[in-house]
Amino acid sequence: MKMNRRQVLWAGGAMGATALLAACTSGSGDTAAEPASADDKPKRGGTLRVGALGRAGAITRDPHGSQANESDYLVIALVHDTLTVPGAKPNTLPRLAASWEPSADLTTWKFKLAKGAAFHDGSPVTADDVVWSLRRLRNTPSGASRLPGIKPENIKAEGADTVVLVSDHPNAELPLLTRLTTFVLKKDTADDALDKAPGTGPFKLDWYRGGNARLVRNDSWYAGTVHLDAIEVTMFETPQAMANALLAGQIDVASNAGAVAARTAEARRDIQVLRRPDDMAMPIVMRTAAGSPFADPRVREAMRLVVDRDAMVKQVLSGYGTVANDILGTGDPHYAKDVPQRRRDLEKAKKLLTEAGFDLSRTYDLVTTEDIPGLAESATLFANQAREAGVKVQVVKQESGAFWDKTWKTGDFYTTYWGTNDSVVFFASKTMVSQAATNEAGWADKDFDAAYLKVIGTADETARAAALKELQRIEFDRSGYLLWGMADGIDLATAKVRGLPKLPGYGRVQLENVWLR
Amino acid sequence: MSATATAGPAAGRPRTRPGRARALCRVAPGALLVLLALGGPFLAPHTLDTPVTAPYAPPGGGALLGGDQLGRDVLSRLLHGGTALIASALLVAVAVTLLATLLGCAAVLRPALGRAVERTADVSILLPSVLGIMLVALAWPGGGRGPVVAAAVLLGVPYAVRIVAGAAAPLASSGYVEAAVSRGEGLAYLAVRELLPNLRATVLALFGLRFVEGVYVISMAGFLQIGPQPPAADWALMVRENAPGILLNPWGVLAPSLAVALLAISVNLAANSLAPQSVYKAVTFK
Amino acid sequence: MAALSRPAPLPRRAAPLPRRAAAWPRRAAALAVEVAGAAARRALLLVVLLAVVFAAVEALPGDAATAAAERGESAADLAARRHLLGLDRPLWERFLEWMTALPTGDLGTSAQGRQVTELLADPFPNTLLLGASAFVLTVVLSLALGCWAAARPGRLTDRLIGHAATASFAVPEFVVSVLLLLVLSLWTGWLPAVTVTGADGAPASWAMLIMPVVALVIPQTGWNTRIVRGALADQTATPHVEAAVLDGLPTRQVLLRHALPGAVPAIATGIATSTGMLLGGAVVVETLFNYPGVGTVLAGAVAARDTPLIAGVVICAGAAISLVLLAADLLRARVVGARA
Repeated sequence: MKMNRRQVLWAGGAMGATALLAACTSGSGDTAAEPASADDKPKRGGTLRVGALGRAGAITRDPHGSQANESDYLVIALVHDTLTVPGAKPNTLPRLAASWEPSADLTTWKFKLAKGAAFHDGSPVTADDVVWSLRRLRNTPSGASRLPGIKPENIKAEGADTVVLVSDHPNAELPLLTRLTTFVLKKDTADDALDKAPGTGPFKLDWYRGGNARLVRNDSWYAGTVHLDAIEVTMFETPQAMANALLAGQIDVASNAGAVAARTAEARRDIQVLRRPDDMAMPIVMRTAAGSPFADPRVREAMRLVVDRDAMVKQVLSGYGTVANDILGTGDPHYAKDVPQRRRDLEKAKKLLTEAGFDLSRTYDLVTTEDIPGLAESATLFANQAREAGVKVQVVKQESGAFWDKTWKTGDFYTTYWGTNDSVVFFASKTMVSQAATNEAGWADKDFDAAYLKVIGTADETARAAALKELQRIEFDRSGYLLWGMADGIDLATAKVRGLPKLPGYGRVQLENVWLR
Repeated sequence: MSATATAGPAAGRPRTRPGRARALCRVAPGALLVLLALGGPFLAPHTLDTPVTAPYAPPGGGALLGGDQLGRDVLSRLLHGGTALIASALLVAVAVTLLATLLGCAAVLRPALGRAVERTADVSILLPSVLGIMLVALAWPGGGRGPVVAAAVLLGVPYAVRIVAGAAAPLASSGYVEAAVSRGEGLAYLAVRELLPNLRATVLALFGLRFVEGVYVISMAGFLQIGPQPPAADWALMVRENAPGILLNPWGVLAPSLAVALLAISVNLAANSLAPQSVYKAVTFK
Repeated sequence: MAALSRPAPLPRRAAPLPRRAAAWPRRAAALAVEVAGAAARRALLLVVLLAVVFAAVEALPGDAATAAAERGESAADLAARRHLLGLDRPLWERFLEWMTALPTGDLGTSAQGRQVTELLADPFPNTLLLGASAFVLTVVLSLALGCWAAARPGRLTDRLIGHAATASFAVPEFVVSVLLLLVLSLWTGWLPAVTVTGADGAPASWAMLIMPVVALVIPQTGWNTRIVRGALADQTATPHVEAAVLDGLPTRQVLLRHALPGAVPAIATGIATSTGMLLGGAVVVETLFNYPGVGTVLAGAVAARDTPLIAGVVICAGAAISLVLLAADLLRARVVGARA
């Protein structure tokens, strides 16, 4: 489970875009809507006990390391600040960087630091600190994928309060890269001093031990008023144990507890269920390269017509999710809502399979893992549905380590998953452009590549939007993905907790506005 | 005070007529359960893998015991899920008993092999068994039941060999075996013709115990996400799969748990009646 | 994990201590030599086991670098990560390095770059606390149940205890745990559902230990009760116990004064051998109750192919099990020596 958590965590790491103005609009199970009464003016004080997922063996305290644990990322994100943070509208909000602007050719971006930003020991944040931190990040093994196109030497300071990033290619989406991992430390912080290194965030570290931590309010935080006195983070191995802890009153918030916990909690009036839509995609990957049984686009189209999307959402996600339309990045404000929803059509599917000469006598292995709840179940249910179309699918469940080593990126037919689904361009760049390092389906489509280059190289908003639409249309028609639905991110909280995060993916760590009634 | 002393050829109670009837009574529950498990798939009201209700739906409607994690009928899966578990546990028990008997006899007749078995068992006692299962099963190409059975056999044999060797040791130094050795009989002859007939009771008891152990190991492997491929049903696996929804539909967990416990008790009953009590106990700890 | 570790106890070849009442210093010296020899033998076995573990983890698909890698990393990034973790060096070299650092108390570095000693500093004592509590409880319970059954051989009590014992060791810890959790916490709210720790890294309240300990004790007691009952059955068949019965001594006295002392070596060895099971159960119980021990560390470490961390857990657990086995050997040797 370990690697998966991390992969979920970083799936959206490099980019991502607007998250929907989430939970309020999410539907029936949402009891989080906050009445705007006078009663709900934030109160100061109190300690919030929050549970987050993590494994004792995978603990890391390095803000630039691979954070396998959601609990570790939460602690780091509350103690240290990134240049920008995910937002609802616009999708990128200022934090340590107060403002930013590109050159005309979209390669050089200047970030101006927030006034009054200071470390917990009182010393002010300088451009040198930021440059040192970004270079440190860039020089980790995953640095190249976290800051794609930006060489370490192209991160520079300009005066005391401006940082300049120069990209190798035009990148209209560059500020999105700085939202999630650009934690700023004091220049020349030694590796063995990371555990206690002062940050600039809304909370200061009181203690950290074995994955659990206590954080206390930073009274002089530059970016706003913090209401809570303290946050206590408890690490949980399983969502089930975390949900039990909440039900038994041992914690106040269970972060990312899952749909089953939500249904269990629905009967309890003293517990709020918060839904953060578009949190997790669990697409089925069909290999498009020659030699694969799915190389013919008609076969892939047929598979997309075979799946019963409503049943998948209802049975696999317990209804805590939405039907999707085979385009990844459903939370993007530019997501193509006007592409007609694909529905189950067994007649058409059979016709397409016959035309393509698909071998119906064979049994096809669909490889899956139990990395995240619902993944193996989605494969099982799909196999059941495919049988109704005369396609024999056999589910093969692999252990996580074996799956990522043997099947991922090379298998003909397997399930995958991605967290933080708020950018269409993110998925295009990571998984569908023919040169992408993690091109999961081995897809190479000239028209798609061209559309992608146009999107990231265009400064004009309307022209970009048009190119994005074209890109999504091609993806809908021909890609190697079958995306049947999107799972909600689900947090549970006791009734007294207010101001909880509403964004999917990384948005879940934004606890600086929380207060207790 | 050696436990094995009682495992000798004379340890069995003389079987009287009422004793036979009682033995039959004790075998009956196990046989009945096995029959039910075998016939279960034909009695199941629904198929194994088609959702009929909401995930973890409480009992009601078409589902007598409610729904499982995908909304499939718990009762139908319960009826389907015994065969494979019993078959796997049986396979483990047969393989371990067979290998242990052969190796145990050989170890007694060939001291060098006996020492090797001792050392292996000494090492494997220090290996956390969970780690053992994971290492064997994960190194196995492909998933499924195979690796679990293999792990259970591989890790169970060293101990079982000790039991057989312990029981066979006094026999090996008995007059008739020594006589056979001096006649120049081969290893196979000695093991099969001289030792084995007198180890019947020990082997039978060992088999019963290994079956119960097999059930335990398969369940534990399921907990570690190693085991049968979906959509297969398996009592042991059902417990883990449905545990997250235990507050929504407790039957998804309770029913298979009870089935596993019942299976263990009835197999124990049967084994107890087939093997003399004293031997059965001796096997537990020696 | 029983098959594996519900073991048949070792037929001890523990050399009996000098039988005649020798001078005290000589006996003490002999004892020391005996202990040192047995300890050295067990240490050697542990080294063999570690070598096996290193090799086995290497044989699994994937390695620590692929497990720790983030999606989107290129082959070059992965190679850099592999180099950082030292995975580009041969297996024997890494094993040798780990083994030579061991005497200094250095258990290496985890795949995430933390010191293994630091990662185990809190979990190991926590698991020891859990395991030791369960161990003591199971010894007491199984002795009591075993004696109770043996006092009524063949009667209903005896048979009931026998079946209950078998049933309880066949039911895996996670079934027991889930049921306990349901009844004692989620339905009734009597006990805390999970363990949370404070700034000292230990469980915040002793009540958090109850369910994990009980979940471990039930299957373990089932097994050990059978061992006790079996050992007592053998003792009752010995001439001196039969003689005691013929003398008309009360059953309780025969059992406690005559049968039990003779059965102690077999019981000690049997129970000691089954301590390995406790760690197997701990993985499950710790996960379900979120108890911060080495069991959970172990399961995660295998998924991460984190060899130094796995080896660290193995050596801690192995050392603990070895100590118990050693104690059982000594106890056995003493009893055998004293009775001779």
